[in-house]
Amino acid sequence: MTNHDSEQGGQAVPRLDALAHFMGVFESLGVLVLLVALVCAASIIAPGFSTYTNITNTIIMASITAAAGLGMTFAIAVGGFDLSVGSVQALTAIVAASLLGVASVPIAIIAALLTGLVLGLLNGVIITKLKIPAFVVTFGMMSIVRGVALLVTQGQSVMITKHPDFATLNNGKVLGVPVPFIIVLIVLAALYLILHHTPFGRHTCAIGGNRAAAIASGINVDRVTILVFGLVGVTAAISGVMLSSQLMIVDGTLGTGLELQAIAISVLGGTSLSGGNGNLVGTLLAAVLLATIASALNILKVAAFYQYLFVGVLLIFALSIDTVRRIILAKVMLRRI
Amino acid sequence: MNETRTNLQKSAGLPDVNVLDFLTKYFIQSLLVVAALGLGAVNPYFRTATNAENVLLQASFSGIGAAGMTLLIVSGAFDLSVAGLLGLCGVILAKLAPDIGVTLAIVAALVTGFVLGLVNGVVVTKLQIPPFIATLGMMNIYVALAFIASAGQVIPASDVTFQFLGTGTLFGVLPVPFVVMILIYVICRGILSRTKLGRYLRAVGSNEIAARTAGIPVDRVRIIAFGIVGGCTALAATFLTAELSSANAIMATGYELTVIAVVVIGGTSLKGGKGALFGSFAGALFFAMISNALNIFGVGAYWQYVVTGLFLISALAVQALRSSFQTAE
Repeated sequence: MTNHDSEQGGQAVPRLDALAHFMGVFESLGVLVLLVALVCAASIIAPGFSTYTNITNTIIMASITAAAGLGMTFAIAVGGFDLSVGSVQALTAIVAASLLGVASVPIAIIAALLTGLVLGLLNGVIITKLKIPAFVVTFGMMSIVRGVALLVTQGQSVMITKHPDFATLNNGKVLGVPVPFIIVLIVLAALYLILHHTPFGRHTCAIGGNRAAAIASGINVDRVTILVFGLVGVTAAISGVMLSSQLMIVDGTLGTGLELQAIAISVLGGTSLSGGNGNLVGTLLAAVLLATIASALNILKVAAFYQYLFVGVLLIFALSIDTVRRIILAKVMLRRI
Repeated sequence: MNETRTNLQKSAGLPDVNVLDFLTKYFIQSLLVVAALGLGAVNPYFRTATNAENVLLQASFSGIGAAGMTLLIVSGAFDLSVAGLLGLCGVILAKLAPDIGVTLAIVAALVTGFVLGLVNGVVVTKLQIPPFIATLGMMNIYVALAFIASAGQVIPASDVTFQFLGTGTLFGVLPVPFVVMILIYVICRGILSRTKLGRYLRAVGSNEIAARTAGIPVDRVRIIAFGIVGGCTALAATFLTAELSSANAIMATGYELTVIAVVVIGGTSLKGGKGALFGSFAGALFFAMISNALNIFGVGAYWQYVVTGLFLISALAVQALRSSFQTAE
C-alpha cells in the first residue's frame, strides 16, 4: 500500500494509512468472497458445474481473459486505458496461426508477442509524443488493427493444421493443472514483481497517482507510459496466442469486446479508475468470477444475449462501487487534513 | 509565423484576406472541396447525380448523430453507446410500426432514444463514472436489449412511409434524411449560440469547477446533452431503418467511432468548451465521400476500419500540434 502514500504526498496520517490498507485487503477479499459464494451457488443450481471437465474449461476461459486483464490493470495503474486489446488479440492470434503454417511453434509465438509489443509501443508513442488522450488513441487503433486483421485474412478463417501439438498449450495439463492457468500465473508473478518490486513499477504508480508530481520528481513519464502500453500489447498477444491454441481456427473477428471484459475484471478486482495502484491478484480472481458466471449461465442454457447484458450491468455495478470507494477515501482524507 | 503569413498574402495578391487563417479555420471544409473536386475529376461515376445523392444520404446517418455528439463534447463528455442505442431504437421502430403505425412508432423510438440518453447522463454524472467507460458498458447493455427485443432476427420494415423517409428526395435531388440533417444542424447551432443551455454547455465544458461555483447545474446540463445525443441517435436509427427497410441489433456496429471521428475531424476539441458544428457537418460529408470513393475504386470494406481509425488519430494529432504552436506563439 506504499502507493497510497505517494498519492497523498507527505501528508499521510498513519491512521489513514491503516484505513487504506484495510480497504486494500477488503478489495481483494471482496471479489474472493463473491467468487466463493458464486461457485457454491453455481454447483447447487447448475448440475454439472462442479465436474472436473467443466471447472477446467472455466479456468481456461478465465485464463485467456485474465492475461489481457492483467495488462489492462497495469494501464489503469498508470492512469490510462487500452481499448485496442481486443483487436490486438485478434491480429496476434492470426499472426501465430499463419506462421504455424510455415514456421515452428516457438517462432510463431515469438512473432505474435513481438507484434503485440510493437502495437502497444506504437500506442504509447502516439499517446505521449502527440499528447492525445489514451482512450481516443487506442480507440482509433482498435479500428485500425481490426481492419488490418480482416485485411490480412481477407475475411477468411486460418486453420492451424501443421502443428496439432500447438493445442497442448491449451488442453495440456501439468499435475492436473491446465497449462493456460500456469501461463497466467507466470504472467501474474512477473507483473506483480514488476509493479511492486522495481523502480519501473513504482514510477508507474507514481504517474497514475499524481502525474504532475511524477514529472516534478524527475520521472521520465513518457518512457514509462510507452513501456506500460508495450506491456499491455504483450499481454494482449499472450491472450491471442492462448486463444488461437484453444480454437485452432482463427479469423479477424475474434476478441470483439475483450477490452470491456478486461476493464471490467480490473475494476471488479479492486483496481481503482483513479489510477496509482493495480490489484493484479484481484484481476485474476475477477476473471475467474466472470468465467464462472458465463459457465453457469451456459449450463442453465441462458441465451448469449443475456450474458452480454450481464457483462454490461456487471461493469456499471463494479464502477459504481469504485465511485463509492473513491468518495469515501476523499472524505476521509478531507477530514484528516 | 506572421512573416510567412504576410508573404503568402503578398504572393497570393490578397492583402485583405488572411489565407492561412482561413485555411486553419475552415480546414475540413477546404479539404472537403479539394477532395470532391479531385475525385470528381478522376472518376466519371463519382460526379453523377445518383452518386452525389448517395453520398448525401450516407452523410446524413453519421451527420445527425454527430450534431448531438458535438454538443455533448462541448460539455466535456462523450457517448460510446450510440451504436447499441441506434440498433435498439431501430428494432423498436421496426417492431412497433406494423401494430401502432409508422408515425407513433417513430415517436416511440425517439422517446426511447432520448430517455436512454438521459439514463447515460445519469450514470455518468450521478454515479460519477468516466463517460467513455460508462457508455462502453451501456453499449453492451443496449446491444443485448436490442438482441433480446429482436430475438436475434432481422426485423423487416416495409411500410411505404419508410420508403419515402429512406429513399425519397425533395426537389428531386436532396434526400429526405439530408434535409432533416440540415434542420438538425440549424437547431443545434441555435441551441449552442443563442440559448441559456448553449452557454451552460460551453461553460461546463471549458471549466467545470468554475461553472459549478457560478451556480450552473452542471449535472443537469450534461444529462440534457446526453439526452440530445440519444434523440439524434434515434433519428438516425429511423432513417437507417427506413433506408435498409429493416432493423437488427448490430445494424450500426462502429457507428460511435465514425461519429466521434466526424466531430473531431470537424475541428471540435475533445477538451470541451468549444464546438464547430459547421465543421461536424462538413466532416460527415467528408467521411461519406471517402467511404464512397473507397467503394467506387473497389477497395474492400475492411479498409474502412483502417481509414476511419487513421483519420481519427491524425485529426487529433493535427489539433494537438496546432494548439502547441499557438502556445508557442
